[in-house]
Amino acid sequence: MRKHPGVLFFVLALCLGWSVAALAQGSIELSIPLPLTGQQAKFGEIEQKAYLIAVEEINAKGGIKKKKLVLNFEDSQGKPEVARSIAEKLIDVKKQPIVFGEYSSSCSKAVAAVAEERKVPYVVVTGAADDITQQKYKYVYRICPSNAYYAVGLMSFLNEIVKPRSVAILYESSDFGTSGADDMEKQAAKAGMKVLMKEKYEKGAVDFKPILSKVKAANPDVIYMVSYVMDAALLMRQIKELRIDSKLFAGGAAGFDIPEFVGNAKEAAEYVVTATLWSPQVSYPGARAFADKYKAKHGSFPSYHGAEAYAMAYLLKDVLERAASMKPEDINKALKATKMMTAFGPIQFQDKDGFQNQNFMETLVRQVIKGEHQAIWPKRIASANYIYPIPRWRDRK
Amino acid sequence: MWVQTQVFLQTLVSGLLLGGLYALIGIGMTLILGVMKIINLTHGQLMMVAMYAAFWLFTLFGIDPYLSLLIVPPLLFVFGMGLQKYLVNPVLRVESILPHNQVILTVGIGMVLQNLATLFFTSDYRSIPVDYASTVWYLTDLWIDAPVELSFSLPWVVSFMLSVIITVLLWFFLAKTDTGKSIRATAQDRDAAMLMGVHVGWMRVITFGLGSALVACAGCLFIPIYYLFPALGSQFTLIAFVITILGGLGSTIGAILGGLLLGVFESMTATYVGMGWAPAGRFVVFVAALVFLPGGVASLLKRRKLGK
Repeated sequence: MRKHPGVLFFVLALCLGWSVAALAQGSIELSIPLPLTGQQAKFGEIEQKAYLIAVEEINAKGGIKKKKLVLNFEDSQGKPEVARSIAEKLIDVKKQPIVFGEYSSSCSKAVAAVAEERKVPYVVVTGAADDITQQKYKYVYRICPSNAYYAVGLMSFLNEIVKPRSVAILYESSDFGTSGADDMEKQAAKAGMKVLMKEKYEKGAVDFKPILSKVKAANPDVIYMVSYVMDAALLMRQIKELRIDSKLFAGGAAGFDIPEFVGNAKEAAEYVVTATLWSPQVSYPGARAFADKYKAKHGSFPSYHGAEAYAMAYLLKDVLERAASMKPEDINKALKATKMMTAFGPIQFQDKDGFQNQNFMETLVRQVIKGEHQAIWPKRIASANYIYPIPRWRDRK
Repeated sequence: MWVQTQVFLQTLVSGLLLGGLYALIGIGMTLILGVMKIINLTHGQLMMVAMYAAFWLFTLFGIDPYLSLLIVPPLLFVFGMGLQKYLVNPVLRVESILPHNQVILTVGIGMVLQNLATLFFTSDYRSIPVDYASTVWYLTDLWIDAPVELSFSLPWVVSFMLSVIITVLLWFFLAKTDTGKSIRATAQDRDAAMLMGVHVGWMRVITFGLGSALVACAGCLFIPIYYLFPALGSQFTLIAFVITILGGLGSTIGAILGGLLLGVFESMTATYVGMGWAPAGRFVVFVAALVFLPGGVASLLKRRKLGK
């Protein structure tokens, strides 16, 4: 080396030059853990597409603080242990000052624990199990309403229109399913409904008929189900097979609220209502535009998961622009002070009802009418009139 | 009273229909186990491959999954033979510290298949939208005054019947044909069979192919009632494994009974204990069979025969 001071200098200059160039050009590069393979990949895919649409828009309008936003995706396979190790990698190795994303409650919970421990803010986008924001965490925020609020819209529909006296609850034995079922049980009791059955199942089950024949014997007014994609379709198909004539079949969002549900359950999906957080018909600014853009690009309207991811990207822009620096501490302060409107709805993180840093919002009800999800409740945003009472299976074609 | 009877009968019907399909999955594994003396832990993944084949046959050419019973199992037969010939057999010859590294190899093959499927077909859930998917026969339609209402789903019943037919054909093959007899001879005593002039190596290849073809049949029969995704295999490998243990290692009739028992047991657990317990129940059966009935159902049958 001593013999070639010129070379050394040249190399040094090159290195410096590169890094200066990178800074000047400026890009904010962040990674998002999402299930891109495995059983929850469908949801991960919807979110990924929505993030990319948002990134494109943000960059077209000058990026964040004049820097280009680049989002990368890390596949968590829907497994909490993988999600955890991704979070550790992002925080410890890549020194990412803010983490967001993940789909399921179980995975979000795993990431939240890591983020809180490392004092790096984490925004939960879709994980809905109540206890994620009930742990007195200071660095964990949540955009989506928690499970306790998922069914609020549905309950008002039930109370005002259906007036059921009994309900049977079937749910997947996951964090999301369990907390959804527990909340339904509480709300049903509050509304004076009798919970005749509350049964969980392991995802991937082939045959629901044994449990459904028990439901049939109990004859509830409403069957409320909390499931992911294929179980939802299989449940409805087998309910049709057994001709269980409840007054209403209701789903707790997730698997009941995406277009694939209708594709897989076919005519058995007709008239099924589902709690949901968002629909392309909502009146929030940019909602319709986002839905149309998504449809033009990918062929179908996005489910609420897409809207949540889309809103997350805008929240990111808003927060990073308000934060004093790119340090986790400053970003955390900016997050806490968030008050903004997105295509998904208003976002503001509050400490209320035992929750910390939780966003509260109105939830709606959709119904499958002629093979399409239509918003039916609350009435002012309805895109179609609800159909109730629904015909008995015997009388359907 | 009638209501409870109805729940019980419907559960029993569901259990038997499911059990018939389970049996077909179990037979394939038990056959390979009998001849090879190894547990084929890629069994469920082979079923997944068959299901994808049937799925694409339907999507691209509109071939009904039941018709693809004539196409997919032969394909898997060849595929299974290839696996045995070019992957398992070479490993059999290698000396190693682990006595059963063929078993580990099958796990590896399973992982490769699953990841390849994820790569090529993405991890989307798919199903075949056959018109008859939700066609159902009702007892009250056939017998107006029936005190209980039972429903028989068309695809479930057809799948069950076909499963029975395939099993009978297999029995015929094993009992009456030369090749079948050679396979059984190899399973009973490899050395004796070799001395009698049975080409043991070839029998192994054929058996692996046959086992794959059987699970391919099960795959085709499952498609109209279930759905498919790349990670589906491990679940069914496990089921096949439990059936094999329950039925008695290497026993075909044991696998049939084991499959039916498991199907009924799972359905009954779902109705009378709770559906969330079904997978746990599976393990209870597994452990109980190992502890209390080491030879499986087959040993019970044998004991009775000897008693006579």
